[in-house]
Order: sequence, then structure tokens, then C-alpha cells
Amino acid sequence: MFSRLSRKKMSSNMKNMPEEKIPQPSFRWGYAVFVLFLLMFLGFVSVVIISLFTDVDVESLSGNVALISIDGIIAGSESDYLFETVSTSTDVIELIEKADKNSNIKAIIFEINSPGGSPVASEEIANAVLRTNKTTVAWIRDIGTSGAYWVASSSDHIVASRASITGSVGVIASYLEFPGLLEEYNITYRRLVAGKYKDIGSPFKEMTSEEKAIFQQMLDELREYFVSEVAKNRNMNKKDVDRIANGLFYLGSQAKELGLIDELGSKDEVIRYIEARESIKAEVVEYEKEKGFFEVLSEVTAKQSFFVGKGLGSAFFDRKKGSQPYIST
Amino acid sequence: MKKLNLPEERMFVAPALLWKRIVAFLIDLLILFFIVFIPFRGFISSRLPKDYSFSETYKMLTAGQDVYSIIPVYMAMLLLMFLYFYLLERKMAQTIGKKLMNLYIVSDNAELKRWQALVRNLLFIPVFPFDLLIIIDPVSMLFTKTNQRLSELLSRTRVVEIHKFDQSW
Repeated sequence: MFSRLSRKKMSSNMKNMPEEKIPQPSFRWGYAVFVLFLLMFLGFVSVVIISLFTDVDVESLSGNVALISIDGIIAGSESDYLFETVSTSTDVIELIEKADKNSNIKAIIFEINSPGGSPVASEEIANAVLRTNKTTVAWIRDIGTSGAYWVASSSDHIVASRASITGSVGVIASYLEFPGLLEEYNITYRRLVAGKYKDIGSPFKEMTSEEKAIFQQMLDELREYFVSEVAKNRNMNKKDVDRIANGLFYLGSQAKELGLIDELGSKDEVIRYIEARESIKAEVVEYEKEKGFFEVLSEVTAKQSFFVGKGLGSAFFDRKKGSQPYIST
Repeated sequence: MKKLNLPEERMFVAPALLWKRIVAFLIDLLILFFIVFIPFRGFISSRLPKDYSFSETYKMLTAGQDVYSIIPVYMAMLLLMFLYFYLLERKMAQTIGKKLMNLYIVSDNAELKRWQALVRNLLFIPVFPFDLLIIIDPVSMLFTKTNQRLSELLSRTRVVEIHKFDQSW
């Protein structure tokens, strides 16, 4: 009797088989496991290579709502502000475009915590927001004024906390002037210009009334454009915006009354709005600028140094101070 | 009664049964899916619509860009499949699935040569005309008496199973 096969079937199969040796089993589990790990490694390598060439990012691996931070001063480039937190228009636009390309992303949240900055950079970001086909929501946290509000106004919906500061629609320009200081130190500013206004705004001379008028005209024009853009984005009457565009900032609650924002609330309200509008269960994924190796390294060491310092400090001072209340608003 | 001088265990080879080959292949596919293809899972799921609805999938397919990024992944996965079968069969004449189903690869010549291991797995090479073998190979199994695939015929190899006689013979 055959153990595995009926005799009839076996004999029919055997007719088709040439004479041969019985194969000697040489299966080794160690080798099989090695091959599996080798192939898995090759899989990782090929995914990395494919990702490099097909523009696939970690952010795209999960989530259906992109969160982009606009933190600190809005600027054209980071070198404009050395010791400040800066959001450059180039980086923010890149992230917006990346989220826009990802078919899984249904909405983009802009987490704004910025006093504004360069009008050019603000306009660039605002235009990028307007260009997206996704639902866009601006979530103003502590502050979203001036250029940052310009960006917020270009989104579909604005949510701000009751205590946040927003508005400040207006334009500011400032310059230093120290001809008196030069005079005190007996330094003379010799003016050699080809073109009457070439040294307009030079700190070494007092600005003439004509030059001031030129500057003011430019600022007025810029403010006019800012106001018209906000009115257009918010679907408001330009005269109404003009009336409140005196550079004054407003609390979230006041901004809601004035129509500068749509809703008072926090991230929960933002999520609720997106879920209702897109009929989805929101999974938020943070879109961040890719960091270089040295950037990550310096960030990690800076954080570690801070916490080591903090730990040492508290070991010395907390014992003396006891538990004094620390009040902050 | 006089005892016959029969060997204690007699073995001979026969072509592997079709269902055993299918089960062995499915085991290999499961191993590939759960171990070797782990790195590809996130990539593929990121390219497919989250709600898996027909309309979303249709939109994705017609959009073009996302589909094109899946093609290299598909090719890489097929190449890894090829390597899995090639490396194991070349060295041990068995894959894990075949081992579990007690199947072996034998060569019509003597030992299984490198070219034979390569040719019998040509169907996993994602390049024309080899990719046609993905359809031709399984179909040809149904029309050969020894259940051989076309690439097996070309490589002069067969998948066999060893049958043992019971002592009660």
C-alpha cells in the first residue's frame, strides 16, 4: 500500500517518469532564513531608491489631512533673520505643493503662529494656498497678524482661539538714522550718488520730506493691495476691511465679530470642520521641511544640552527656592 | 512463514500533484508577502486610495502619476520573487513551500544547474517576453501529463514528490 498516493494513480504517473535517482534532501533552514533576510534588505534598498526617483515622502505614507506650520517671521529666506524663528515662503510653498500632489490628502491645515513678515513672502504663500484644490483651513494659535493673516485669509476657513491675536492689517517700514552720532564722533558722510534717490533710507543722513513722502506713498499702495486681497479672499466689502485695516490687532473674539475669522476654537474645531466638509475621518499628518543630517544632529544635541543644563540648574536652585508658584499667561 | 528479504523502506519519485504544487506556491507567496514585501507595504498603501472605493481607484488610475510610481515597485517585487525562487531552488532544489509539501525539483540531467534554476523562474522577470510566461506557464501545466510548466520544459526540470512504500506492502 502506498502511503500518500493511490496505487492506480501512482502507476499512471510512473509511466511518464524517466528512470532517475531519488533526490537527496539538502534543505537547510539556516540558508532559507538568510535568503529571506537578504531579500528583505534588498526590498528596503529598492524602496529607498524608488522613493528617491518617484518623489514619495514619509508624509505620504499615512494620513489624509496635512498639517503645515507657519511659525515665526514669514521671510523670503532664512538668512534674512539669523536668530529668529523663520518660515520661508519657499519651504511653505514646497510643502503645500507636496500635500496638493498627494491624492490621499483631502485637506490642509495651516497652523499659524506668526506676527507676519515680508509682504512678498506672505503674498507668495497666500497665492500657493489659493492655488490648491484641497480644502484649506487656517488655525491661528497665539498670533496670526499682518502677513500671517494675509495667508490665513486665503484659506477656506479660519479658526482662532478666543485669546489669540489676529488682524493688524497694515504695512510697516522702519529704518535707523544716526547722523547725529556720526557728527558727535566727527565723522562726515560724503554723498556720491548717480541718481537723486540712490541713497534713500541711508542711516547716515536725515531723510528729506520728499523722500519720506515717496516711502509713505509706497506703503499706502502696499496697504491698499493688502486690503483688497483680504477683502477678496474673505469675500468682504473692501470699504469694511479698509475701515479696520488701521494696523490694529484684535483678539479672536473681536476678530470673529468683525468677520476676520470664521470660527472660535482650537484644533478640535478645525478637525470637525474638515470631517464635516470632506465626509472623512481625519488623520492628521505633519508636513515638515526635510532636515539635513547635520541639522538633525545639532537639534538633538541642542535639546540634550538644554535638558542637561535645566536638570543641573534645578538641582541647585529648586532646593533653595522650594515650590514657589510660577505664573504665566 | 519465511520472511521475504525486502528493503525496509522503498522510495520512488513521481510528478508532484497539482494541488500540492499550488499549496506550495501559496505558502511561498505568503512568506514573500509577510516577510520579503514588508518594505513595500507602506509604499503601495500610500499610492492606493484610502477608502478603496471604485470611484477613487478609477480616479487614481486615470490620474496617471500615482500609477507610474507603482510600476517600479511591481518590478522590484517580481525581481525579489525571482531571487527567492532562484536562490533556494539552485542551492537546495526546494523552496520553503516545497519543503513543507515535500516536493523537490529534479533535473533531467544530473544536478540542477544554474541555467536551469534561472530558466525555470523566467516568468518572474518583469520584461517582455518573459512576463508572458505568467499566463502561459500555469496554463501549460494543465496540458502536460507531468504537470510541467513551459519554463520547466525549457529548463528540463520537473517538480516531483517522493513516495514511500509502507512495510505492510
